[in-house]
Amino acid sequence: MRFKELIFQVTVILCLSFVIGISVNLSLIKQYRKGDFRQSFFSPEDFPSIQFIGILEAEYLFVDGNAVFLDSRAEEKYLEGHILGSINIPFEGGEHIVEEQLPFPRQTTLIVYCDGNECQSSVLLAKVLADYGFEEIRVFFGGWAEWVAAGLPLSEKNDS
Amino acid sequence: MIRNKSILWVFRFVVGGVFIWAGLLKILDPLEFSQNIANYHVFSRDLSFLTALVLPWLEVLCGILVILGIFRPASSLLLSGLLGVFLILITVTIFRGLDVDCGCFGSIGRHVDYRLLLTDIVLLYLTLNIFVSSLRSHSTAS
Repeated sequence: MRFKELIFQVTVILCLSFVIGISVNLSLIKQYRKGDFRQSFFSPEDFPSIQFIGILEAEYLFVDGNAVFLDSRAEEKYLEGHILGSINIPFEGGEHIVEEQLPFPRQTTLIVYCDGNECQSSVLLAKVLADYGFEEIRVFFGGWAEWVAAGLPLSEKNDS
Repeated sequence: MIRNKSILWVFRFVVGGVFIWAGLLKILDPLEFSQNIANYHVFSRDLSFLTALVLPWLEVLCGILVILGIFRPASSLLLSGLLGVFLILITVTIFRGLDVDCGCFGSIGRHVDYRLLLTDIVLLYLTLNIFVSSLRSHSTAS
């Protein structure tokens, strides 16, 4: 087989994949350009009950006292330190969350967090909560790192 | 390299089938796949997003072509290239100690580990056999 023929075939397949991939996802591309997926790749339209919040709103909801903080990090990290009063639901994406782990009324404001901006387990857990029918879910994207940096109330090893 | 036509036929079905299946699962949820790629912390967000839109279609298209025997040298070469890139990515991820979902089969979570590395090596071996045999049959025909 000639090298030129091989290159031609490769180019045809690549171009075809590119054209199909782009054309069937035009609406997603528009959303991306609008900045809809700045914090995480998920569509707010698919999960209207989930909102992203910053440190100020997280602090406000903490002081208000009516929201429940959920820590989606591994148990070891949670035991080393966590937001005061938060509940640990370790989640990496594949685990099965059972109803008993979520003994809250569906209207409760749930604030999910993990390590910080780089982690995704809070978003993944938020999606599961939305599937369970919770209506007020907040993802605190700054997470544990931002909470500690802001000097807000926390529970450290040995005092939980 | 394998020369037996029946075995190569099975290889084509296995490789083609795996890539069609993997591609279709990703096509169903391009945003989740974008996030999976971004979690590797290797590509920029723009590139992760673009890859997530195009790569699944490339996998499906190559899978179909490998099974049907159309553009077989190019489709098997592209799949070998993809598996080679995945191999590097998996190895680097294991060495960096990142615990991430590989994103290989859409929402069916599978973590990056040594078993995944082995699966990738086996698939690469099958695909390279398909590629070499397709070159051989082309040169015999011409």
